[in-house]
Amino acid sequence: MIEGAKWRRWVYFHIPLAGFLIWLLFPFYWMMITTVRPDGELYRPWNAPNYTPFWTNNPTFEHIRYLFAETLFATWLWNTMVIALAATAISLVCGVFAGYALSRLKFPFAGSLGTMIFVTYLVPQTLLFIPLADIIRNFRIGDSPWALILTYPTFLIPFCTWLMMGYFKAIPKELEECARIDGASRWQAMIYIILPVAVPGILSAGIFAFTLSWNEFIYALVFLSSPQEKTVPVGVVSELIRGDVFFWGPLMAGALLGSIPVAIAYSFFVEHYVSGLTGSVKG
Amino acid sequence: MATTTEAATGTPRTRTRLLEDERWLAFFLLMPTIVLLALFIAYPFMKGILLSVTNTRVGVPGEFVGLAIFEKVWNDGIFREAAWNTIYYTAVTTVFKLALGLWLALLLNRHFRGKAFIRAFILLPFIIPTVLSTFAWKWMFDPTFSVLNWLLREIGVIDQRINWLGDPDLAMGCIIAVNVWRGVPFFAITLLAGLQTISPELHEAAAIDGANARQRFLYVTWPLLLPVTMVVVLFSVIQTFADFQLVYVLTEGGPANATHLFATYAYQIGVRTGLLSEGAAISLAMFPVLFLVVIFQLLYIRRVETR
Amino acid sequence: MYRVSRRNLLKISGAGAVAASTGGLAGILATRSAPAYAQQRTVHWLRWNDFVPASDQLLRQTLLPEAEKALGIKVNFETVNGNDLQPRITAGIQSGAGPDLIMLFNNHPHLYKASLTDISDVAEAAGKEQSGFYDISKGNCSSDGKWMAMPFGIIGAMLAYRKSWFDEVGHTTFPTTWEQYRDAGKKLKAMGRPIGQTMGHSFGDPPTFSYPYLWSYGGKEVEEDGKTVAVNSKETVESVKFMVDFWKEAHDEGGLAWDDSSNNRAFLSGTICSTLNGASIYIESTRKPAQYQTDKGTPMKDDILHAPLPAGPAGQFGFHTFQSHVLPSYSQNKDATKAFLGWLHTASNYEKWFTSQRGFSTAVTASWEKHPMWGEDPVMAPFAVAGRLGRIPGYPGPTGQKAAEVLSKYIITDMYAKAIQGMPAEEAVKWCENELVKVYQV
Repeated sequence: MIEGAKWRRWVYFHIPLAGFLIWLLFPFYWMMITTVRPDGELYRPWNAPNYTPFWTNNPTFEHIRYLFAETLFATWLWNTMVIALAATAISLVCGVFAGYALSRLKFPFAGSLGTMIFVTYLVPQTLLFIPLADIIRNFRIGDSPWALILTYPTFLIPFCTWLMMGYFKAIPKELEECARIDGASRWQAMIYIILPVAVPGILSAGIFAFTLSWNEFIYALVFLSSPQEKTVPVGVVSELIRGDVFFWGPLMAGALLGSIPVAIAYSFFVEHYVSGLTGSVKG
Repeated sequence: MATTTEAATGTPRTRTRLLEDERWLAFFLLMPTIVLLALFIAYPFMKGILLSVTNTRVGVPGEFVGLAIFEKVWNDGIFREAAWNTIYYTAVTTVFKLALGLWLALLLNRHFRGKAFIRAFILLPFIIPTVLSTFAWKWMFDPTFSVLNWLLREIGVIDQRINWLGDPDLAMGCIIAVNVWRGVPFFAITLLAGLQTISPELHEAAAIDGANARQRFLYVTWPLLLPVTMVVVLFSVIQTFADFQLVYVLTEGGPANATHLFATYAYQIGVRTGLLSEGAAISLAMFPVLFLVVIFQLLYIRRVETR
Repeated sequence: MYRVSRRNLLKISGAGAVAASTGGLAGILATRSAPAYAQQRTVHWLRWNDFVPASDQLLRQTLLPEAEKALGIKVNFETVNGNDLQPRITAGIQSGAGPDLIMLFNNHPHLYKASLTDISDVAEAAGKEQSGFYDISKGNCSSDGKWMAMPFGIIGAMLAYRKSWFDEVGHTTFPTTWEQYRDAGKKLKAMGRPIGQTMGHSFGDPPTFSYPYLWSYGGKEVEEDGKTVAVNSKETVESVKFMVDFWKEAHDEGGLAWDDSSNNRAFLSGTICSTLNGASIYIESTRKPAQYQTDKGTPMKDDILHAPLPAGPAGQFGFHTFQSHVLPSYSQNKDATKAFLGWLHTASNYEKWFTSQRGFSTAVTASWEKHPMWGEDPVMAPFAVAGRLGRIPGYPGPTGQKAAEVLSKYIITDMYAKAIQGMPAEEAVKWCENELVKVYQV
């Protein structure tokens, strides 16, 4: 791609890319090394002569063992997974339907409805969660996964709708019309003709929604209380931050292991994700 | 309402016929979204506004006080500091995220070995739960144990340690750096998607016309990329403006409120201190600013799209 | 005391007996009224992650199972990071559902006064049995003669310091005035061993330093009436000016970014000579003597001593982090919770927790000062009387919701932090006064 001498390839491509990779991935290396570092080594101040930041001579799996044996980490992982999947599913259904309606159907107030859905995205969480606490009480879903499964879609739907609108707009109208001429109902045309074409878009909206739910912290902190109901971010933070004992090991182990499921999902879908976004941005 | 029940319980034929009507289909498709958003956003939003015009404290229902709380908040020095911090933080991080994200996207748009692998890897900062990665950063910025200080000393840049989170300006710099670190992958991947929609033929044509790489970027790539860019920036601005987790973990708004943002200050006042009305008013103050920014951007996007 | 808990106990075990006689699970299913007493028998207890992890283990593994056996009450024990207790009680009160028993720090019960259950019966019984509560227990937990919170422990805040290092610079007895302390700190910082003090936004160490420091100069946030803001005084300005130079000359600059655990780590890794903290540093050093060593290779625990904060022109003061438990009025299990609380505070049960703390947290009533535990380790002995000394934020006025608000907003700490960062002393005090007026005038 880059014409000219070899050094140009290095200056304009290899070195910057390597720079980006180091910068973006160094913290992960740091988490990894902290995970296997014995506690004793963590107490070395930055200017100590035996400060060995990038390796350790006595790797230990004690922190990982601690995480699984002494805390409910496995349960938190499971909870987070269930909550994230359910919230994503709900948001996708809503987002796809709403996106379809707003971009392909003619009905009164379509434009203003679209804007309103978007505006809900702007409402700050810090304003919402005190009143939300009321609603959660009324529904009697406090301290249960439902508290999050039902509230997460509020910040996921606007994004999904928006993304799907862009995607649907890019699909030619003729596709649907042909199906209708062949005798399909509107509903059938949507389900059997348009949705399959939109799969990459749906996938990328789904991945994005899943990541956001996996990340969420405030609602999970406030609406869940029993240790066995917590999600990974809240569980790790609330049970591993202590004064004196260096919990950096288990904390970093939790951070790493807690992001692996999402990382796997991404590695499968990253190409779809890119092409999904491509579709939506064409519109 | 009566018609919906009919639609739900009626014979398959009536249902199909109703769904044939665009309005009814739209109504039916939008229903779940509207119900969820009305219940979990619109209703609490109204309650939030009600809170801000009373003087409610936790556990003590307040009385209507008009705009007194807003006036109090407006005159609050810490609030002004937090407001300024938020605007500064959002502006600076967005510029950096856009510039670096675009650069990375251009790099990734080339063909090289291990492309898919690297694309998946660079997303890691974006997908790891924010609180947890921020703890890793906190550990790296720790005054006593900072690996960054060690590194800088090893290369010979410093001999005194740098007080990353203790100095007001540096602390702001740190939260900006972490936010940029987290945001760049998202920008890069989305812009990469945009780049891939640009047909290579356009570039070839421009090259034949004698345009160099810089000109090709400025006159071919950039204009075509603009709509995607605006959408990404829009979403990023919204998220950054209401950012909470980063500051909550790294500094709790310290040192001496130098890093408080709207969200963290609202949280400290409303939830920690229990002054619910004030907390609500501070959160609400975020809304008009955000609204203006977004309206401006939406209009711009529309103009770009219709051009 | 015993009477109260026994009555409850009878009532509860009575309920259990009914269930047993109606045929266990089958009976429950038949009557379909299981929740009525099933709820009553579970108490959700929320505490912080104790800085002495052994105590949390004791509660989980020994005390709570014992409680279940003795009372038939199952305690669902949850711990969170200390900074997250307030969000949880706020959400609980607003949503009307949450933990039945919540730990709070310092004078925070005053913030939630309107939504707490009066537990005077439990508190008074325990107080009577154990020779009366300290004044700070009363100030933090009672209001208008009623107990809205049950005092639980006082985390004595003292300076932990490295004996040999202070000896090296000629301070063989620990400094008793700020001037002397500054002199020692100056010499030690020159040797790369500064004083460490947390000045960030965190619930524990920053206020336990900044408040007594202000008081020791004769500064105060309000007059005794608890209404007139009085921070802008010659004394306060003096204290701020002294602090600025003191910080530059003798402190570890990292302190502005520290939270409650940073100074523990800095001390244990041997980078600071002295820091205001609970006894957790020392306790941790005795737990793993091989890991924490001095530069000479001896166990660090043998080089740590404790001392109260030095005196200023107006005398010597202290402010100790106070723990109490509240029973929010939304709780559906008030009787069971009270029964459990009463059981927990009977001398024989409380003693187990008390000794597991090894002095990190002292008790809230006077009788525990004489407990044999204090004789076991002379290094810990100074903490025995922490409860007698020490004042509550708002001093010299009565503490209350306003003072709690000031504390929650870190206003006093930030006044010093701002000055340290370069704001002129007068301006920092003026800023503080403005903030205080906003809190107190409404």
